[in-house]
Amino acid sequence: MIGFYLNGKPVFGEFNPGTTLFDYLRDQEIFSVKFGSEKGETGADSVLLDGKVMNSSLLLMHTIDGKVIETIESFSQGVDVHPLQEAFIEEGAVQCGYCTPSMILAAESLLRENPTPNDDYVRESLSGVYCRCTGFVKPIQAIMKYATSREDR
Amino acid sequence: MKYYTPSSLSELNDLFLQTNNSKITILSGGTDILPRWEEGITLPKHLIDLKKINSISGIVEHDNKIIIGALTTVQDIYKSELIKTKYTALHQAASQFAGVQIRHRATIGGNICNASPAGDLLPGLYVHNAMIELTGPNGTRKLPINKCITGVGKTTLNNNEIVSAVILEKTEELSVFYKLGLRQSMAISVVNFAIAYRQTSPNLFDLQSIAAGAVAPTVVYLKEFTKAVNEGLPLEKAISLIEHDISPIDDIRASADYRKTVLKNLLTHKLKELYV
Ligand SMILES: Cc1cc2nc3c(=O)[nH]c(=O)nc-3n(C[C@H](O)[C@H](O)[C@H](O)COP(=O)(O)OP(=O)(O)OC[C@H]3O[C@@H](n4cnc5c(N)ncnc54)[C@H](O)[C@@H]3O)c2cc1C
Ligand code: FES
Repeated sequence: MIGFYLNGKPVFGEFNPGTTLFDYLRDQEIFSVKFGSEKGETGADSVLLDGKVMNSSLLLMHTIDGKVIETIESFSQGVDVHPLQEAFIEEGAVQCGYCTPSMILAAESLLRENPTPNDDYVRESLSGVYCRCTGFVKPIQAIMKYATSREDR
Repeated sequence: MKYYTPSSLSELNDLFLQTNNSKITILSGGTDILPRWEEGITLPKHLIDLKKINSISGIVEHDNKIIIGALTTVQDIYKSELIKTKYTALHQAASQFAGVQIRHRATIGGNICNASPAGDLLPGLYVHNAMIELTGPNGTRKLPINKCITGVGKTTLNNNEIVSAVILEKTEELSVFYKLGLRQSMAISVVNFAIAYRQTSPNLFDLQSIAAGAVAPTVVYLKEFTKAVNEGLPLEKAISLIEHDISPIDDIRASADYRKTVLKNLLTHKLKELYV
């Protein structure tokens, strides 16, 4: 039996050996977590584990016992748009949107460590996510915009 | 598959004794193991996850040594000021390692035990003469890294041993790392290398050692070349001496000839940068 938090709610369960967090989340209809490859090569499967961005397809359920898992669903509560999401929309940083949840989680992970990042830092924070339509310039602008608007507050 | 999470080295040793002789796989970050399963390799009978053994995680300074626990992540290495200033090659390797997602999970112990000739942390460990600490029910022993890794995916670890730490002597040596991948991030090295050197006067360097990856079954020291350069042979002449120590192969990323040529060019270029 393992227990963990998923988007703020405690979850307990038994899981088959070899089941990954990615398999579980898709099963739970958490569809923001996307299939890229099973090897963490595209980053589309990103989640936050104890606040750090990781590939859910490389996490065995057994290894998340006692951990806090967050997906993009926890940002909006399904209704409101989080300011970081809003910045992505305003900057035109979303085309097909396949990579967007992962881009935002990657940004959030690095912003929690460094709330006042420079351009290079943000660029690096996105190095593990592939985007095949928008590219990286607009997402970087969106993250910088959000980070500076928070600083101003 | 049975899954175990020992929370101390003594619990781990007990497990080794209990599961004696059966097929055990050690799990750290899983960034090498899980992709392999996805390729259809059958799950092991016993999976021992080390991640709850806190005593083998983190970087500590000890008298004239620094000890990097086997579970220390690539991201922790990248963020360490101590590593950045004293073991720059390791810092630079971590900064070019995969993307942040993988760096948060991948461990130094896993990079060593995976024993890939292209493992990015390895050349830095070779040039800094890292000692690898191995632990098991029969006690602890230490081996130089080049005695620990012996071939592609091969190490001299016993079945019931883990890598518990990496030990680096404090030194005045400086180091740099260079990696050529097929793109800037998320790429396995086509070649990589680290150089350790000592600054003897403002414009003079004494090369200590050079280690190159992905040009032989393991990372190799470029001994003949290093010696010749220190003896004053011009780089252009000395560079062909790297062929004494390398034996590159063709694979999907590059041909053997390309690897040899590109290592020669990059090494010459990097050393010229040092000597300006
Ligand atoms: C998308 C992607 C990108 C990558 N990019 C890079 C890169 O740029 N550079 C690079 O070098 N590698 C890269 N890798 C490979 C991998 O991330 C590294 O080799 C990493 O350091 C492995 O560490 P781990 O903790 O995840 O190992 P694991 O997968 O847990 O283990 C690897 C092997 O070592 C054994 N093992 C692990 N820890 C120990 C221990 N303490 N004692 C004994 N045996 C042990 C395991 O049994 C297994 O055989 C990449 C992998 C992926 C999926
Ligand atoms: S917006 Fe389509 S993959 Fe990034």
